[in-house]
Amino acid sequence: MTITLHDFELSGNCYKLRLLMSILKLRYDIVPVDFYPGRQHKSDAFLRLNPFGQLPVLQDDELTLSDSGAILAYLATRYDPTGLWFPTDPAILAQVLRWHAVADDITATSSAARLALGFFYDVDLPKAQAGAHAIFRLMDEHLWFGEREGRDWLCTPAHPTTADIACFPYVMLSEEGGIGRQDYPALRRWTDRVRRVPGFVVMSGIFPAGKALQQA
Amino acid sequence: MTLSLTDPAWYPIASSDDLPFRHVYQGQLLGRELAVWRADDGNVNVWENRCLHRGVRLSIGVNEGAELKCQYHGWRYANRSAGCTYIPAHPADAPARRIENRTYPAHEAFGLVWSAATSDRAFAPFPGAETADDWFALRPMPVNAAPEAVIAALGRLAPDDQPAQILPGLAIRLGTTLYFVQPVDAGRAVIRGLLPGQPDDASLALRHHNEALTKLRDRLERAAVRQPAPAPLQPAFDKVSAELSTMPDIAIPRGTTMPVVVKRKWTSADGVVGFELADRDGRHLPTFQPGAHIDVHLPNGLIRQYSITNGPGDLLSYVIAVKQESASKGGSQILVDTVREGDVLAISEPRNNFPLRRDAIRTVLIAGGIGITPLLSMARFLDKSDLNYELHYFTRAGEQVAFRSELEALHGKVVLHTGLPRSEIGSTIATALGPWSFAQHVYVCGPSAMLESVRATAAAQNWPDASIHFEYFKNDKPIDDTSSFDVELARSAMTLHVPAGKTILEVMREAGLTVPSSCEQGACGTCLTGVLEGECDHQDVYLNDSEKRANTAMMTCVSRAKSARLVLDI
Ligand code: FES
Repeated sequence: MTITLHDFELSGNCYKLRLLMSILKLRYDIVPVDFYPGRQHKSDAFLRLNPFGQLPVLQDDELTLSDSGAILAYLATRYDPTGLWFPTDPAILAQVLRWHAVADDITATSSAARLALGFFYDVDLPKAQAGAHAIFRLMDEHLWFGEREGRDWLCTPAHPTTADIACFPYVMLSEEGGIGRQDYPALRRWTDRVRRVPGFVVMSGIFPAGKALQQA
Repeated sequence: MTLSLTDPAWYPIASSDDLPFRHVYQGQLLGRELAVWRADDGNVNVWENRCLHRGVRLSIGVNEGAELKCQYHGWRYANRSAGCTYIPAHPADAPARRIENRTYPAHEAFGLVWSAATSDRAFAPFPGAETADDWFALRPMPVNAAPEAVIAALGRLAPDDQPAQILPGLAIRLGTTLYFVQPVDAGRAVIRGLLPGQPDDASLALRHHNEALTKLRDRLERAAVRQPAPAPLQPAFDKVSAELSTMPDIAIPRGTTMPVVVKRKWTSADGVVGFELADRDGRHLPTFQPGAHIDVHLPNGLIRQYSITNGPGDLLSYVIAVKQESASKGGSQILVDTVREGDVLAISEPRNNFPLRRDAIRTVLIAGGIGITPLLSMARFLDKSDLNYELHYFTRAGEQVAFRSELEALHGKVVLHTGLPRSEIGSTIATALGPWSFAQHVYVCGPSAMLESVRATAAAQNWPDASIHFEYFKNDKPIDDTSSFDVELARSAMTLHVPAGKTILEVMREAGLTVPSSCEQGACGTCLTGVLEGECDHQDVYLNDSEKRANTAMMTCVSRAKSARLVLDI
């Protein structure tokens, strides 16, 4: 296998794949794409790779894949022998896909606000920010009751899934879009847990959390 | 009612559950943003949410259990005192002693964490707190509406025949349920509810209240957007004074003393007596850095330095240790013989001549005998931060190993070398050190012979001076005070003659200058003075060889001049 990631360092969607590949200890090559300011993802060469003109794109031998959620599912199904990251149990699979869809909503709101403030994109900023707050409220409530019920992650299994990876980056980067997380304490605690997953890697703006207390 | 920035009332700012270990909670009260964190000893810290360095939020910092580390620049602040314990860029990696983050009062009770904008008022339980011995906290509900509007809306939830009871401090009782409104800012609040006792079905109760409060919140927020938004509160922050925020000199002048009580005195090992010194009123003591010592004023008028063995953020007492046989010199013996538990001693604020870098890739700590004291503290700091270190502790016999249980609690590599024949000590040190490579540091404390041996071995294995750190409390070298010369004091505009038999320090004192000193034998660094011109005749053991060669600073208590004239920066 030769995996190649067409990657933009500051893209949370690309980071999702770097994160999962690091957790799964996969080796891969990177082709940097100058998303900003070069707009290389709209170049002819890139559009031949992905007609949607979006990062990330992942090539695995002959296969060319796009959409971060789809690629997460592909990588986990193909390379995670434990089957934990993308479970096949139908009820759990439905949960994971549900949160993959939420991840897209987070991209459309929190990430859009970040593009507006950090990359000068023409976005309705207040609308994007309000949208992100609405999603974060729901997530905080879901995670808060989860903690009460002994669930640490977005889906019911006792371990993280691709759902957590898909939702994580643009929650962490929300401040760059002017979206504070003060009102979402359970969401903030969940980001600590994600940042403690073995194999966690950093990206600009996303640091590791302190070591968890070793309970004797 | 309008919100006041100086409102002394206590408000809940978090639930106890919001503060798991090793997490930093982000809160806000009356416009002031808070970083709230629980240390491993259970203490809850409520601090202003910014690092003094660049104002980066501490709520994105790392809770290391006893210190909070700023994520961006690595400044560290201690549990309890919020004192800065580490500045990465500083040449000595050590901050001035009194750089402290702003703190707010904290109190944990009834499943909630409480704080106030000022420390003017002591925490008091809410009226009726005694009706249950156990309270159950509801899920907090943040609301984007004015706190006054929120409390009013809560009041309207009461049925007509059972009116709500308004309590002081934006609190209200509806039936048996209590609601507190945390004034986050002029236009933001958090509703925090408490139920007396444990509900039969906790999950059901939480869901039920959460649903009701969600509806209330949505109503309040719909109303709030139709109103002009209130101007946010504008708390003013005092800047850290320039004097404190600028990098300190390596030698920090001696401050005033403070009284401490001997809380515990015990035999830690054969010939080693431990002393635990605490504030008389149980308050925390000043922040210290790993490697720091205190001056202890002994009942016979002598002053002696002892290293603090404590770990990070461990400020409720200082633990020092005294070696019994240093006896004869009249110093420590008096501590061992006459000072008892309950006695009061005067000590200085902690000073650090032995700063620990915390950016090393590998740190080797080498202790001989009682020299374990500063190194134990260093090991504890490195341990808590998960940094790579090795501690080698040389004693003559196993019974002489002090602080055994403290050493066993460490996770790094701790090697006890007991009863090694003299001939093997050198090769053991050489192996422990290994050849030098980038960002490796060695710290050594012990008898002079051991210090010399580590210095020589390290130098032979290509360790640069800057990577070898040691602290002398004693200067065993004979001092030659036969020279005579003039000193010109540049800042005091004075020229003095130093005759044979007198030290520069003595001559300056006679001329009416107040100059700090402590050991007066060229070991502690307290009297370090800048040299502007002239050639020093160094006789101290404080400066290392390259510092001596640089000829830019000297110890006025023992060192002299080789040239006829010396210009000092004093
Ligand atoms: S007073 Fe200690 S070195 Fe001079």
